[in-house]
Formats: sequence, C-alpha cells, structure tokens
Amino acid sequence: MSEVPEYVKIVEEVFEKYKTFIYVGKHIRRWDAVDKVTGRTKFVADLIPMYRNLVYVYTVRTKYAHALIKSIDVNEALKHPGVLRVVTAKDIPGINDAGYVIPDQPLIADRKVRYVGDAVALIIAEDYLTAREAAEKIHVEYEPLPVITDPLEVIDLKTLRERKHVLIHDEKGTDLVAHYKIRKGDVEKAFKEADVVVEGEYRTQFQEHAYMEPEAAIAIPEPDGSVTVITTTQCPFEVRRTVAKVLGLSQNMVRVIAPLMGGGFGGKEDVANEIGARAALAARLTGRPAVVIHTREESIIGHSKRHPMVAWYRHGARKDGTIVAVEANIVLDTGAYASLGPFVAWRATVHSVGPYKVPNARVDTIAVYTNNVYAGAFRGFGNPQVHFAVESQMDKLAEELGMDPAELRLKNLLRAGDRTVHGQLLTPEHGVGLEECLLKAMEVAKWREKRALYVKQVGKLRKGIGVALMWHGNSIGVEGADYSSVSIIINRDGSITFRTGLTDFGQGAIQGLINIAAEILGVPPSYFHVELADTSSTPDAGPTVASRSTVMGGNATVNAAYKLRKRLNEVAAKMLGCSPDDVVIKAPDVYCKDNPEKKIKWGELIEQCFWLGVPLQEFGFFRAPFAEWEEETGQGAPYITYTFGAIIAEVTVDTETGGVKVDRIITAYDIGKVINKVGAELHAEGGAVQGLGYALMEELVHDPDGRVRNPNLSTYYIPTVKDTPEVISIWVESGYKRGPFGAKGLGEPSINGIAAAIANAVAHAIGRRIHSLPITPEKVFFALRK
Amino acid sequence: MDDALKFLSKEPSAVPMAGGTEVMVLIRDGVIKPKKLLDLWPLKKKLSYVKLENGLVKIGALTTASELSRSFLVKDHRYLGFKDLVKNFSTHFIRNLATVGGNIGCAHPMSDIATLLLALDAKVKLVSTEGVRVIPLDNAFVGLRKFARKPNELITEVFFNDKPKNSSTAFIKFDRRWGHSMGYIIVATYMELDGNVIKDVKLAYDSVGEPYPGRAKKTEEFLKGKEFSGGVLDKAFNEVLPREMRRITDYRASAEYRLELSKILSKKALYIIKERIERGGTRG
Amino acid sequence: MVSDEYKPVTIRVNVNGKDYVIDVKPYERLIDVLRYKLGLTSVKEGCGRGECGACVVLMDGKPIASCLTLAVRANGKKIITLEGIAPPGKIHAIQKALLDTHTIQCGFCVPGIILSLKWLLDSNPNPTDEEIKDVLDGHLCRCGSYLRFIKAAKLAAQYIREGKIYFDVEG
Repeated sequence: MSEVPEYVKIVEEVFEKYKTFIYVGKHIRRWDAVDKVTGRTKFVADLIPMYRNLVYVYTVRTKYAHALIKSIDVNEALKHPGVLRVVTAKDIPGINDAGYVIPDQPLIADRKVRYVGDAVALIIAEDYLTAREAAEKIHVEYEPLPVITDPLEVIDLKTLRERKHVLIHDEKGTDLVAHYKIRKGDVEKAFKEADVVVEGEYRTQFQEHAYMEPEAAIAIPEPDGSVTVITTTQCPFEVRRTVAKVLGLSQNMVRVIAPLMGGGFGGKEDVANEIGARAALAARLTGRPAVVIHTREESIIGHSKRHPMVAWYRHGARKDGTIVAVEANIVLDTGAYASLGPFVAWRATVHSVGPYKVPNARVDTIAVYTNNVYAGAFRGFGNPQVHFAVESQMDKLAEELGMDPAELRLKNLLRAGDRTVHGQLLTPEHGVGLEECLLKAMEVAKWREKRALYVKQVGKLRKGIGVALMWHGNSIGVEGADYSSVSIIINRDGSITFRTGLTDFGQGAIQGLINIAAEILGVPPSYFHVELADTSSTPDAGPTVASRSTVMGGNATVNAAYKLRKRLNEVAAKMLGCSPDDVVIKAPDVYCKDNPEKKIKWGELIEQCFWLGVPLQEFGFFRAPFAEWEEETGQGAPYITYTFGAIIAEVTVDTETGGVKVDRIITAYDIGKVINKVGAELHAEGGAVQGLGYALMEELVHDPDGRVRNPNLSTYYIPTVKDTPEVISIWVESGYKRGPFGAKGLGEPSINGIAAAIANAVAHAIGRRIHSLPITPEKVFFALRK
Repeated sequence: MDDALKFLSKEPSAVPMAGGTEVMVLIRDGVIKPKKLLDLWPLKKKLSYVKLENGLVKIGALTTASELSRSFLVKDHRYLGFKDLVKNFSTHFIRNLATVGGNIGCAHPMSDIATLLLALDAKVKLVSTEGVRVIPLDNAFVGLRKFARKPNELITEVFFNDKPKNSSTAFIKFDRRWGHSMGYIIVATYMELDGNVIKDVKLAYDSVGEPYPGRAKKTEEFLKGKEFSGGVLDKAFNEVLPREMRRITDYRASAEYRLELSKILSKKALYIIKERIERGGTRG
Repeated sequence: MVSDEYKPVTIRVNVNGKDYVIDVKPYERLIDVLRYKLGLTSVKEGCGRGECGACVVLMDGKPIASCLTLAVRANGKKIITLEGIAPPGKIHAIQKALLDTHTIQCGFCVPGIILSLKWLLDSNPNPTDEEIKDVLDGHLCRCGSYLRFIKAAKLAAQYIREGKIYFDVEG
C-alpha cells in the first residue's frame, strides 16, 4: 500500500465534507459570456490589427498526396515583389518535426510528401495575397508514388497482417503505427459454449471538426531573442515544446499564449504545433511579427481528423442474455501522420467491449498510415467509433435472443462491485451510476411503450427508438504523466486572479473550476478574473483534452482553494474570536457560525492578511494515480474512473426517400457531481448535435488520388438549426471520491453514444441495420429495398 | 444601362457582377481571375421587378430572391413553386443579394431559380449595344457554367406566359440535411389539368444528363393528354424518365439513387400541383 | 504585386453611426475593411464563401454576407456591426436574452446571429419558431447551441414587446 499523497487526501476530505452548495451545480453565467455577447472577445485573428509591420506566412502545399521530392526551386518565387523569404526544410535551424506523440511529422517536407496538406515551402511576404500569388512560382519536381486511401490496402482486417504496398513511412519499415490488445479468459472455448453468436463488420468515416474559427498563429520576435507565439491551441505547453525544438531554442525562450478559441473539439491539439512553429520561424528569420492564418479549405486539409474505423466484432451470449465472449479486430486509419493516433487506438481498445461484464475477450486494435489527411484527436477519441460498433452488436444480440435491447443491457452492464474487461474492480468510490442512467432514460423516453407501439405502425413514415450505453475513462490514463495545476491569487483589494494552463474553446470547463474555488473560499464567482493560458505565467495544467479539465483542473483548484481557505480561516478566527473551523465566509460577509451578528468584511479580512504577511496566493497541484496496463493482455486499471451514460434516440424515417429526422434525444450522464450546471447542459445538447452530424451526414471524402473532395462548409455537411432535435438531459450523480466534490468529466462522453443510439433507432424504424456511418438517406433507401 | 453596355462592348473580358454571391466565390477559389468587374447593383431599381404585362409574367434580372419571396408570385396558386423555392433558397443573408439574373447566368446545375423558370418555359432577354435578343431558357445553357450570353450582353429580364387558372407549379429540393441545403437533386414541375387530363406538363431538373438544368421532354410527351392517375405517373417516371435521364455519381450520392429520387419526387411534385389546382386559392 | 495594379478608390460609409472616408482597393472585401481598417473585429470570417453566417453585418438594415461583398459596394451605405447595436455601456435585449438563456459557448458565431435576429425582431415583434429557424438556418454553430438561440430569440422578443430594449451591462 503506497502512501496517499496529501493532494488526494484534500480532495477526499472536501468530497466528504460538503453536502450543500451555493455555486457548485447551479446555473452560473460563464466568466466570458458578456465579452462574447458584446463582441469584445479577441480570437487570434482579431489580434492582427494590434500589430504593425506584420509579415504573412503562406504554406505552399504539395501537388501530390504521395511522392518523393526530387528538387525544389524557389528562385522565381523569391523574385516576386513583396516576397521577403521563402523557407524550405533546409532552412529549419532546429529539428524539422511537429509530431505530437511520435516524431514522424516534418514541419516542412524534405524527402517526401505523404498527404495533400504536406508543406513543401513557406512564403513570407508583405501581405497575404502576395504570398498566395508567389506560391504559384514555386517549382517542385515530384516523383509520384501510389496513393493509398483505403486502410485495408495496408492491412488485412481478418488476419491483421500488413499487406505488401509501397510504404508511406518507408523510414520506419512498416506502416503499422500502434497495436493494442486485450486477452482475457478463453474466447475460443466461450464461443463454442455460447447459445447465440452474432458478428458484424462496421465502418465509420473521417469526421471534420468544422469549428467555426479557423486556425491562426501570430509570432512576435522579442528583443531578448525569445519568441512569443499567440495561437489557437488546446495545449500551449506542447506548442512551446515544438517551437523550441524547431527553432533550436530552449523552452524558456519560447512563450505561448492561448486566447479564447472559437471551437476546438480536439482539432486544435496538435495543428498549433505546426502553425505556431511556422509563424515563429518566419518571425525569427525576418525579425518582424508573423501571421499564419488558415482559410476554411486550408483548415480542413491542414489539420487532424477523426480516425475512420473498420472493425469486425463477434459476440457470444447465453440464452438468458449473459455475454460470455467478445472478440474484435479494429483498424484505425491514422492518415499520413500519427498525430494522436497511438493514444486514440489505446483508448478505443480500452473501451472496445462497451460498459459491460465480459468474462472472455480478445481485442486487437491497429492504427495504420495511409495517404489521407492525418487523423488525431476528436471529441471521443476512438470511442464514438467503437461504441457505434459495439452498441450495434448489442442490439443485434438482443434481436437474436428475442430480448428487449434495454433489458439485455440491464443484464450485462457494469455495477459497483463488478470488474471491467481489464479486471479493474469498480467500487462505489469510482461512482458507478450506469444502471441509474439507463433506468432514468427509459422512464423519461417511455421506452417500453414506444418499443411496443412502433412495431404496429403502418405508412410511409416510420418511427424508431434506440438505446446506447457508453463509458469514457477520465483523463489520459497511460498516455503520459497526468497532472494539473492552478494558481489562485487573492489580490490586496479582495479581487481574485485565477491562473491555469487549461484553455477554453467554448466548452467552458474553467467555469467549473471557478465554481469550485468560489464554493471553497466562500466568495461569488464574479470575484474571479481568469487569465489566458500563457506558458510564462499560468502553471502547466496539462493539455486541455481527454475530458480532464473538471476532474484534474478541478482537483488542483480544490487543493489551492482549500489551503487558502485554511489560512483565511486562521486569520478570521482571530479577528472574530472563534475557532477556525467555525468561520463562515459568505463574501462580502465573514462571521462565526454561532455569532452571525458579528461580521467583518471580506476586504477587511484580506487587508489584515496582507498586514500579517499571510500569503494570499496558492499553487494547487494534483496528479492522478498511475494507470496500470499490461501490454500483452490489456489487464490492469487503465483509467482513474469512468463517466457512464445512457442515450435514447427517437427518429422518423421517410421510407420513400430514406430521409431520417431525429425527433428527440434523451441523455442520462453519470458525471459524479454536476459542478457547472450550465456547461453540463450545453454539453449534453451540443454533443448531441455533433453526434447527430456524425451519425447522419458528416463525411470527409478523399479522391483516389488523395485529394479532399469536400473541403468547405457547403460540401461538408454539419447539422443546422433545422436538423436539431429536442434534447433532454438527465443527470446522475454517483460521486467519484477522488474528483472535485465527486465530479467526473463530460467533454467527450457527451458525444460517444449519440451516433450509436441513432443508428439503433433507425434500425428499429426500418427493420434493417446499416453497418456504416454516416447513415445517409441513400443507405436507408437501398436497405429498405434490398 | 447604356454606360454598362458601352463598357461591356469595350471590355468583353469584364465579368458582370450582380449580388456577387457566385462571382465572389469563384474569384476566391481562383476559378476566374477577372481584371475588371462590372458592378450591376446601380441598375437595381431599373431591373428589379415582378410584374404582369400583356399576358406575360416579367421578372427583372436584378430581382433578388428576397424580393421574389415578397412578390405576388408566392401568393398566386399557379406560381406556388416560387414559394417552395424561396423557402429553401440558401440563407436569408444570401437571399438579399442573390438575383434571378445571377442564378440563371451561372448555369450551375444547382441553380434553383433557373430550374423552376425552365419548367415555366421562360425566355431570357439579352441586351447589348447592338440591340435586344430573346432566347428560350431551354437553349441558354451550353455547357458546365456556360450560359449563352455574349461577352457584350447583359441579361435584363426573364419572362414566361401567364399560366392558365387550372395549372400550378411545384419545386422540391432534396438533401441529407434539413437546413441550408445545396441539394442532391432539384425537381421543378409545371402542370395544367383539364378536368383529370394532363393538358400540359413541364418537368425540369438540376440535370437530365448535361451539367446544367434541363427538361425531361420525352416524359413530358408521354404524360401529355393522359389521365392523371397513379398508374400513369408510375409508367411515366419508372419507365420513360430513365430512358432520357442520366445521373452522375459523386461523393454526395450515387447516380442510381439520384435517378430513384427523381422518380419519386417528380410524382410527389405532380400530386402537389394537382392539389394546388384543386384548391385554386391563395393557400399553398 | 497584385495591389500595385489597382488604384485605391475612396468610399464614404457610415458604420455604427459614424461617418468614415476610407481608401480601399477595388478588390478589397467589406469584411477586411471592417475588421482591419476600422478595427471592428466582432465581424468574423468562418469560411469566406457566405456559407457559415459568421460575417453577417447589417447594410441599410438588411443582413448581408460581408465576406462576399466588395467594400466599394458599401459606398453611401449604413453598416451596423455588433459593436454598434447598443449605446455605450448598454446591451441590447437580444444580448441580454443570450446571457439569460446561457446560450454562449465559444462565441464565434454569435455576432452574426445577433445581427440577423435584430433584423428579424425589428420587423417581426412576435416571430414563430419557424420564422426564427428560417433566420438561424444560415448560421452554423458547431458548439450546438441552436435550441438555445431559438429560446433566446423568443425571450428577446418578449423583452422588446415589454419595451425593454436596452439593459445595463452587469459584470
């Protein structure tokens, strides 16, 4: 038994202590709402007018999706009036790499190009139009190579062996990037003894983040030789690492600032490495502030996507519905570069069998390279894909068994006291509210009535209702060191400065942290001022990913606020004449529990702390317990806890055209404790919309030569207001003992099960199953007529 | 107007721009790189109208989609196809800029207004310093994004015969999302009934085989003079239409699906027209 | 350089109640003039093709896509951007309604939507859900706040019918 660190003990103590709440769990207006509604908020591109003497950086991209570079001639472009420099790979002072996990991604292509977005040169010019014009004068001699857009050309789905092909990453000798496994029990034996076996092949598509704000970066060369980079990034410290690496600087000579962003969803996790480094390079080379700004098309072609999946699943169960075995081969297309692919493949593996008791399992997940746009982080991170597959399987199983799909799930879902497929024992301390989620969703949706009613329907319009369960491990598991930190500074006048390296791209998790600090300190959220993530002043909170902000950032906040409160209590106790534990702070009032008449003001208390030399700033730190994962068997404790959820979707299908309308989505998420009520509701609603797009209409398509067919917002379909159904959100609070006030994350869970539920609803409506996303009207049309 | 025409005679390579919703996009995408643009907006007052004159419905080329939605057309049972069209025409801030002349001048298959005008058998008035030329809209599309406008001409008006009381129009656009759609296919139909007999029918689509809006004339011929019935419609669209319609497969949808949709939505459109004729009032 | 071939044109335009005389290139877009010459960065560029609605401004009261409009077209016109929708220190009923319904997430689509809703409510004090959706249809919101925008539009309409057009900015 290892010692429980103090920062964990504090979280657990706070979890036990607080039973009633003033701010936590209430509808609190976001700290940035007024700025956004008045248009004051400056996104990166809005900062451009603040700089003079800017240079513009245009990325010249390859003509071919796969080719060797024989030569590159920049002389004609250099002579173009208004062009200052043309940068190619050989001009990079440091290391030519922008990869997030694996160093496989040159910032500027040197030897070969692997996808249509690969940069072959950067043009630095006085204005954007000039740079774009000069791009046509760059002459590259290519030796085209065969283009692979189908991952099954790289690997066989059944045998999982690499196929012979012209390697994309020939320097590695293989195009298999990562391989994760689960080996539990004896699947062969279990399948032989199973009463019912169902199998299926499932495919999902490239999904594009399509955040409304395209990526941008401004780099300013500082007088002391350092460089400041302001960019659209969810991971400012990662950008710093890459910029320092590319420029050959030490990290303390690079400062990265992340302003508020117009959407991220994982898409701004690693692209800023590239554009930040390009801007910084230009700034260094010209000595002037440099701007990289993407058009929508450059954004779509030039940043990561959601991994497409091809998966084969097989489920075995007993007559009474108990699952006895699951096996799966999962192939993920990570495109030209790994990006966060290895982590996505791992998360997909961990969650591959769904939130169920599975005594025997064999899962293999392999991520492969192709010449498609590279795939990386996207809300859900492998989970929307595998949940589509596994939840479709569950419905198939239910059909085969003649059981109601919800009943089948009730039979097998994980409860406290059960072990996950990795052998992780789930206890009440983890907060296991999955059953409650499903039962509540069923009740609100009138599940049983509708399942019975819709069987009897006639006519061209058919209604359907479908269910999906989902789970999502919180934070980053074995992906790396999992820690977070915040700084809370109470200024002399009582106003509070809040600093965290966590970023905001609309999700608003930072409001949760404010609510936590407000609750513990006893002050209204309006006392806080949130500073932008800045590697020079805000502490490294880890990346804003993996639905970890509320849990990890929250725990760090708990720690900082707790320690500050202790000190404040000490001083107030002396001023009021009672014991520190009896001090009540309801700012601006401070008083003793048994003597509310005798009040002092918050301002007085702070001033007194100042005079006594009591430090009014605190650094809060939290590190998650190390995750455990056995490479060969996938056994261990991969995540600190899981967010659970049940989603029920109701659809109407027009059998004449195949058109699908989603009428209603009911979500029930177990997030341990609702900290930020507004944020939680917006996530349930927004995740439903984005998941609906994934289910029914979104698909980024590549031509056989690797070009993106639909790189703008009229050709890539995202849901509009007229596609959006009513969303009812239900909250289950199972209390995760090591989360802030018991909280778990929601960022990604809110999308994981949506497409799966909609797919099941459509299958229910038309009596046929579609095995690939998106479920377009065409697929429904032909399924009905087969 | 005279200035505009004189300018075009001198600079035939200049691109006339109405609302700009198409031209600006083409320039941005690098598809066209004009040295000179002729801004037509100052001619707006002169060329924005929807009127009935001498038995002809005349629409000025600079009438915006918004103005169409406020014209008498959307209230007249015969022209309710315009009501269908404007409801799904792009977005409200584009409708304030997009013009009838621009829509037909682009000669893009997904030109909503052009397709409906085709079903109304409209003619186009082209004006230049040399005079006036009138061509049927049916002959005006000559290639992908190629309209039969000579470089020194301007489209000033489209017009069609005021239709008989026992006729109507319908316009259907289908896509995989419910809002803001580009469309898989467009179906624009006109039909005149004499009792239950199809006296006249026009079927226009975003594409019948060429990369621009066209009419399914064989199917029209088949339907003319026949009883309006489920059986007749089935024969027309299940058997005759496939003989003259060639669809394409692209990333949005397959040719097969587009053809099937064309069949289904054509029938639907004609049923809508029948209902509109029967109701014959101002309700759509 | 492209820009050298074209002489600047002088335009006179009233933006948010103030008259401006600006030299623009004939090919310059209105969105760039508003953002970079006048510093009105509430006007956002999401796509450059009039497909997302983020760049919507009111020109002579009507919503247009500023990314598809040449600056020279604004000559002699009145433009309103989000910065000019309420007097200094105050917010418009639509802005208040957005705050009260907790609609805001990333905020990028918001300025365009507020202006479109202003256009709607200026002429239609009691819009139906359908009418609101028709106006919101052109605006893409990836964060998914669509349903709340509808709620906010109805709430704003209510405020306006009650005579409450401007509110104090709190916080």
